[in-house]
This record gives sequence, structure tokens and C-alpha cells, in this order.
Amino acid sequence: MENKTILICDDDEGILDMLEIVLEGNGYKTVPVQNSLNLYEMIEREHPDLLLLDLWMPVLSGDQVLKSLRKNPQTQELPVIVISASRDGKQIASAAGATDFMSKPFDLEFLLDKIRQYLN
Amino acid sequence: MYCSGDQLIIKIIAVDSIQNGEFNISHETAKEDFSLLIQALDASISGIILTDNRLPDNPIIYCNKAFEEMTGYQRNEIIGHNCRFLQKEDRGQPERATLRAAIREGKKCIVDIRNYRKDGTLFYNELYMSPIKGENGQVNYFIGVQNDVTRRKKAELDLRHQQEIMERQVLERTQSLKESEDYLSSIVQTVRESLIVLDPEFKVLSVNEHFLKTFKVTTEDTIGKLLYDLGNGQWNISALKELLENILPTNNPVEEFEVEHDFPHIGKKLMVLNAHRIELEGHYKDRILIAIEDITDRREIERRKDDFLSIASHELKTPLTTIKGLVQMMQRMVPAELSDKFKSILNKTGLYVDRLNNLIAELLDVSRIQTGNIELHKDVFDFDKAVQEAVETIQSATKSHEIQISGNTGEQVSADESHIVQVINNLLSNAIKYAPYHKEIIVYLSRVSNFVKFSVKDQGMGIKQEDHKKIFDRFYRVGDIQQRFPGMGIGLYICDQIIKNHGGTLWVESEPGQGSTFSFTLPLNKQPA
Repeated sequence: MENKTILICDDDEGILDMLEIVLEGNGYKTVPVQNSLNLYEMIEREHPDLLLLDLWMPVLSGDQVLKSLRKNPQTQELPVIVISASRDGKQIASAAGATDFMSKPFDLEFLLDKIRQYLN
Repeated sequence: MYCSGDQLIIKIIAVDSIQNGEFNISHETAKEDFSLLIQALDASISGIILTDNRLPDNPIIYCNKAFEEMTGYQRNEIIGHNCRFLQKEDRGQPERATLRAAIREGKKCIVDIRNYRKDGTLFYNELYMSPIKGENGQVNYFIGVQNDVTRRKKAELDLRHQQEIMERQVLERTQSLKESEDYLSSIVQTVRESLIVLDPEFKVLSVNEHFLKTFKVTTEDTIGKLLYDLGNGQWNISALKELLENILPTNNPVEEFEVEHDFPHIGKKLMVLNAHRIELEGHYKDRILIAIEDITDRREIERRKDDFLSIASHELKTPLTTIKGLVQMMQRMVPAELSDKFKSILNKTGLYVDRLNNLIAELLDVSRIQTGNIELHKDVFDFDKAVQEAVETIQSATKSHEIQISGNTGEQVSADESHIVQVINNLLSNAIKYAPYHKEIIVYLSRVSNFVKFSVKDQGMGIKQEDHKKIFDRFYRVGDIQQRFPGMGIGLYICDQIIKNHGGTLWVESEPGQGSTFSFTLPLNKQPA
């Protein structure tokens, strides 16, 4: 589990910081991506085991990213947990093909449980 | 001789015999006749007088008994006076001029004149006056015949008085009708909503100022025109036709009928119409009243407010997520040697972050409910599982209480899961919050007919009967609760709205000191067995 890589894509720096601290603190390797346009490139490079994805992002939104990931055979099976503060986030996420959804703000234990669920 | 009038008669009557074919009356006969005449005159109920026109001021030279009775004067008070003494001070009567003219010209006349008896009481005298002429045509005497017509006159006066009253009342009614019409019309003109009155064939009878202003038309190109033809057919709106021709005839009145239409000159308008066909029998029957509210701007503002709230909520939640995550991380990393005080501060920070998050969520929900934008994303889900997950989540965050689940529904429900979970969370949180000293909380699940039922029972302080309904009102807080338990009083309001939107009910059974049981039902989409 020590070697599992989690890619975090969120336009908010605070969220990126926090998730890095939390996940690194729990023994994961994290790769923060603030600009969703760089996401494909980072996935190619880092081969993450799991993706934490925000929905509301400028230029390229989370659900757009997700839809194209699901079309690509290499990322079709990648566990993606969408994390959003939008009320209708859950519907959007599941329509776009998310593995799971968490609304912001979330409980740390809850998030770690979910991550463990998909990485073990 | 009885009176000086006898000389007159004596002159006429000379001999009582027939001589040379002429009839002459003897003195004796004349005397007899005279006394008979006097008796006859005295027997008359009309007052009769004679005046001598040849004497100065035309004095009375004869009056009969009836005249004395009528006037209350004695003969000696009458003879020698001019008739005008009967008028006393009432000398302004126009009838006097008629009398004077008749006397001057030696003609007969008849007048109704106000006279006064000796005791001062008024009577109406119908006076017939006729001249008695001599051989040369000169007027020697006047004979006056008088009748007391007070009763007739009074009846006439009463009648005229009644007529005047009636005329005045008619005038007043007309005035008040006009006033109330003006009053109503000024109300209609002041209303900041467009009003149209149509005849049964949909021709415009009238519109108010606001209509003219809103739709930029003049009275001339509106009144008398077919509604659909207004503004060169701008009003030929199919939704409006549908309303007037198909809906209104069977659903009178129609309220809150929304019509959206793009007017060539004034642009797209969103209107809410109330239409009312007058069913009252009479002049106005079948006229159609239409009130139009232009809600174009209001809708736009509502939409912007909604957008604003969702952006604000999203933007507030994002940094909150960071704070919450970091605080929780700190709690996990607390070294054993750290003071309890520090741990307690950390825990409180976490608690208040949660509270802030709830406030943001609730505010957004309230604003959505207020604008009627509570969106339901219905999905079929396992009700028991959803409850179990919600309970586990809440349980994991509290060490002070133990939540037990009893029973099950065994049903899949079609509902908005996130909303229903929100309700369950709210009810569970309340149970914990308001029963701080009793650790046991029981959740009951059951299927009742074609409903699933969820109940949560706490051992807390309970709720007074009079508050059982009020606690579901917006911003309602039970009196003394405010000081001990913070909150905005919108949680239960939101829960109630959510359950109502699903076609279920939410209620409480409770007594002070005996704990509370909150329950809700959700309909299953199948008929009862």
C-alpha cells in the first residue's frame, strides 16, 4: 500500500495542500494537479492507482475529463472518486462514470475508508 | 235689514207681477226671496264675501256665516276691511299680484292663498273672485267665494316634499355611484398589474394604465379590438387562446396561468395570468377579467439569486473542506504527551467547522425551497441500506450516544436519496443534540401499507404539545431551547419540505420529559395489498 499513487485534481490550492498532507500522512504517494488540462499528461506519466477529481474547474470540468477518461481503454478501469461541493454533484459524477462520490466537506475517516476500499 | 248688501237686491227687484210680458217681483216676494237667499248663503260651506269696488280700498260689505267660521273673525271685525287683513304679515305671496291684476282689469280669477285665522293659525284659501258689473260695464262689486283647502294643500305639499326628498336621494345615489365608480377606477388605474376586461367575444372593453404602459399601446388601438388582434396580431398567443377558449369555460376562474411570449416590440415577457369570467346574472355576465403580472424581471432575479447562492455555497464549502481535513489530520496526529486542553481545543475547532458547514447547507436549501426550486433526483435505492449507512456515519462521529436499528422495510424506494439521507441525518442529529444525557437512540423501520416508515426515538427533554406543529415552521425555535442549543430553526422545516415533496408526511410524538419520536413515511410506488 505504501507505493500506491493517488492523483489529486482540483483547481483549489487549499484542497490540494490538505489532501497531500492527509494522504502522505497515511502513507500514499500523491500527485497534485491544479490545472485539469494537464491531467491526461500527468496520468500518462504517473500511472496513478486512483484519481480524486473535482467537478467545478475552469476550462475543463471534472465531468468532461471523466467522460474522456472512460473512453480511453487505458483509463477505463481507473478508480475515480469525484469530490464536489455541488449539490447535484453526485448525479453529474455518476452520469460521467465515476467509481464513487464524496461531497465536500467530507470526513477524513470516510475518505480514507473509501480509498482503502478501491486500492486493496 | 241684515246687511248693506240688501240695497243691491232691492234695486233689482221692484214689482212681483207680469206687465207687458215682463216679469216683475213684488216687494214682499223680494223680501221673502232675500231672506231665503241669506239663509242659503249662510248654509253654504264656502265662505262668501262681497266687496264694493266703488268705495276706497274695495272694502268687504257682506260675509256669510261660513266665512266667519273659516276665519274665526266676527262679522263686525270683517265688514269694512279690505280682504288683505286675512294675510296678516304674510304679504309676499305672488298670488296677490294675480288678484290685484284681476281687480284692476275687472276679471275673474282663482288663486290659492295663505290666510291666517284670528288665532294666527294658517289655512290655505282657494279664492274664487268674480266681478259684478253695472249697466255700463263698470265693476261695482266683487264676489269672493272661499274654500279652506288646507288639507288638500298639505297633501300636495307633502307630496312635493316627498318628491324633493326622492329627487335628492336619487341625486345622492347617483353621486355616490359615480364616486364609487371613480374610486374603483382609481384603484384599477393605480394597480401595478395589467388589467383587461373583455366582452364574451374577446373584444377589449377596457384596460388600465399599467397595461398601456407595459405593452406600449394607446387606448385608441386597444378598446373595441379583438384581443388577438392587438398590436398587429402581437397578442395572437396560442397559450392565451388555449386559456380563454378551452380552459376558462370549464375552469372558472383560472389562476397563476403562465404565458411566455416574445413580443416583437417589447421583447420576451414571462407573464402570470389570472382570468375570471363573470357568472353573476345581469349586465356584466360573461365578461372576462384578465390580470397580467409581468414576472420576467422577477424570474431573472430569482435565477440570479439561485446562481449566486449556489456559487457562494460552493465557494464557501471549498476552503471549509480544507480546514476540516486539516483539523481532522491534526486530531489524528496528536502526540500522546500533548495536554488535554490542546486536544479539547482541537476537537472544538472540528465541531464548529461542522456547524459552519451545516449552516451553509441549510441556507442554500432554504433559499431553494423558497424559490420552489427543490429539485428531486429520484432513483430507486434500498431504503434499509441507506438508513443503515446514515446511522453508521452519524455513529462514527459520536461517542456519547448509541444508535440502534430495529426492524426493516425490505423495500426499494424511488426517491431522492441524498435528500432522504439529509432528513435522516437531521433527525438523528436532533435526537443526539436534544438528549444530551440519555445515550440510547432507537431507529425503527417498518412497512405500513404502501409506505415505508422511519422513526427515531430519543429519551430527551421532549416537546410540548403546542409546539408539535410549530417546530416544522421556518426559523421557529422552541422558547428556552435557543439559549441552550444553538441553531437557526430551519432543519426541521427543510426536512418537512423534502418529505412533503416526496408525497410523504413528517411528524412528532412527544411529551415533555418523555423523549420524542420523529417519524416520516414515504410512498412506495405500488398499490396497497
